[in-house]
Amino acid sequence: MNPERATKVKKVQSRQSPGKSILLALPMMVLTLIMLSGGRIPSDPQKLFIFGVTYLFFNVLFFLMIHTGKTDRYRAVAFIAFSLLFVVSFITHMFEARGSMSLSHEKIILCEVPFCHLVIPMTLIPAALTKTIIFPGMITGGYASIASMFVIWIGASLALGRGWCSWGCFFGGLDDAFSRLLKKPVLPRIDRRWTYLPWAVLLAVVLTAAAFLSPTYCSWLCPYKAVTEFNEVTSFTILVQTIIFVSLFIGLVVVLPLLTKRRTQCSLFCPFGAMQSLTNKINAFDIRIDRDKCLNCKRCMKACPTLSITEESIRAGRSLLSCMKCGTCVDVCPTGAAAFHIRGTPVGEGLNGKRLLFLYVAFLFLAIFAASEIQEGLARIVRLITTGSMI
Amino acid sequence: MKNLLKIAGYAWAGACLVVVLVMFAGSEYLSGKLASATGITVSPRYSGGEVIRSIDHGTYKTILHRPVFDGLIGERRDGFIQVEWQPVTALPPLIEDAVDFTGDGKEDFSFRLDTVAGPGAITPRNPSVVALEWVVKVNQGWVARVQLRKKP
Repeated sequence: MNPERATKVKKVQSRQSPGKSILLALPMMVLTLIMLSGGRIPSDPQKLFIFGVTYLFFNVLFFLMIHTGKTDRYRAVAFIAFSLLFVVSFITHMFEARGSMSLSHEKIILCEVPFCHLVIPMTLIPAALTKTIIFPGMITGGYASIASMFVIWIGASLALGRGWCSWGCFFGGLDDAFSRLLKKPVLPRIDRRWTYLPWAVLLAVVLTAAAFLSPTYCSWLCPYKAVTEFNEVTSFTILVQTIIFVSLFIGLVVVLPLLTKRRTQCSLFCPFGAMQSLTNKINAFDIRIDRDKCLNCKRCMKACPTLSITEESIRAGRSLLSCMKCGTCVDVCPTGAAAFHIRGTPVGEGLNGKRLLFLYVAFLFLAIFAASEIQEGLARIVRLITTGSMI
Repeated sequence: MKNLLKIAGYAWAGACLVVVLVMFAGSEYLSGKLASATGITVSPRYSGGEVIRSIDHGTYKTILHRPVFDGLIGERRDGFIQVEWQPVTALPPLIEDAVDFTGDGKEDFSFRLDTVAGPGAITPRNPSVVALEWVVKVNQGWVARVQLRKKP
C-alpha cells in the first residue's frame, strides 16, 4: 500500500469503555455462572472458594478482552492455565488411582483407559468398516469416555472449526506457553514445507491404525504421553516407545516452541490438528484480511504462531486452512485489516460485532470445557498447600 | 442476496453459541444417544470379544469369549481367545481347565493357572492353538489370552 493510502487507513477502535465492557460481558457472566455451577453453587467453603476463583478468573479475562480489544493475550492466559492445571489434575488423579503415571495391563484389559481427541482420526475408518472403536476405553460413562469425547469434538468442529486447537485442546496450551517465553525467536525462519508434515503424519497414522487396528499415534508418537500416562515399561519395545514420547515432548512441545516462538507441535506435527483444519471449511468463523486497509507490513505473518498466514494468503485476503483462530494476527494488525469474520457477511464491516460473536462462542466453550479441570487442578494445589500432599 | 447472506451468516454464528450450550448441557444424553444410535462398541481386540460360554465350577466360573480373528475387512489369519476366571476371592490356588472353544466336545487346550504365584501355562490340543499370549490378574479375577492361528 502506498503511504498516501496508508494515511487514510484509520485504526479500528476495538477498545470499549468500562461500562460498555461490563454490559457486553454480562451475558458471559450469566452463562458461565449457570454452566459452571450446573445450577448449584457449592456449599463446601473450599469448593466454593475454588469455584469463585475459577468463575472470576474467566470473567475477568473476558472483561479484559472486551475492554482492551485484545484477544490472544487473554485467551492465552486461560488456555495455558487450562493445560497446566489439566496436567496437574490428570497426573495426581493417576497417582491417586494407580500409584503411578503408567498405564497398567489391567486398565487396558478392562477397557478403562481415558479417551482423548487425538485418537479420533485413527478410529474413523475402523469405526466405519467394523462399527468398533480401536481403543481400550469406555464407550459411555466413567472418566473421558469415547462417546463424550466424540460429542465434544463434533460440537467443537461445528462451533469453532480448527479454533478448537486454540480454545479447546487441553494439550495445546503447553506448546503455546513455551512459545511465549522468549521475547524474540532464536530460529525465526521455518521452511514452509514443514507445514505439510502434519498431513503426512495424519495419513501415516490413519493407514497404520486401519492396517493394525491399533491407535498407532498413541502407541508410538504422542508427545503428550510424557505428561499424562504411558504403558508400564515391561519390555524393550515399551522402553523405546517411552523414549520416543519423552523426546518428542521435549523437542516439539518445549524446545522448538521456545526457539521459534511458534506452536510447533500443533502446527507442524499434530495429525488431529491437520484433520481439524478441514472443519474450518464448515465453520461460520474465519480470519479475513481487508485488502483496502492492509499496509502489507506482514506483522500478522511474522506473529502467527501456527504459520497460517503467508504473503499469498495476505494477497488472497484470508488466513490459511490451518488457522486456529487464536487472534494473534488480529491483535498485532495496526489498522484492523486482519479481523474475525463471519461467512456470508461483508469483509471490513461490523468488526467489533463479529469479534464479539466469535468470542462469545469460543470463550464460552473454553470456560465450560476447562472449568472442571481448572477447579480440580486448583483443589490439588490447595491440598498441597494445606496438607503437604496433592493426593 | 447480499442481505440474505448476511442474515444467514449471523444466524449461523448465533447457532454456534447454541451448539456450545446444548453440547455441554446435554453431554451425557448426547453421548448415550450417539452410542446407541451408531451401535458402536469397543473393538474385540481390546474387549476380548463377546462371551460365548460360562462354565460354572461351583465356587468360581470360567468365562470363554469368542475367538477373535476380526480384521478391518473380513478375518485375519492370526487371532486370539480370551478366557477369564472369576470371582477372584473364590478361586482355588490351582486351576486346571480343559477348554473347548470350538464346541465340538473335544478339548482345544488345557490351562494350568497358579492363582497364588501367578504363572499360567497352556497345553495345545488343537493345531490352531499357538501359545499363551499373557495372563493377568484383574479386579474380578484372572484373564488370559491364547494366540490362535487359522489353519490354511
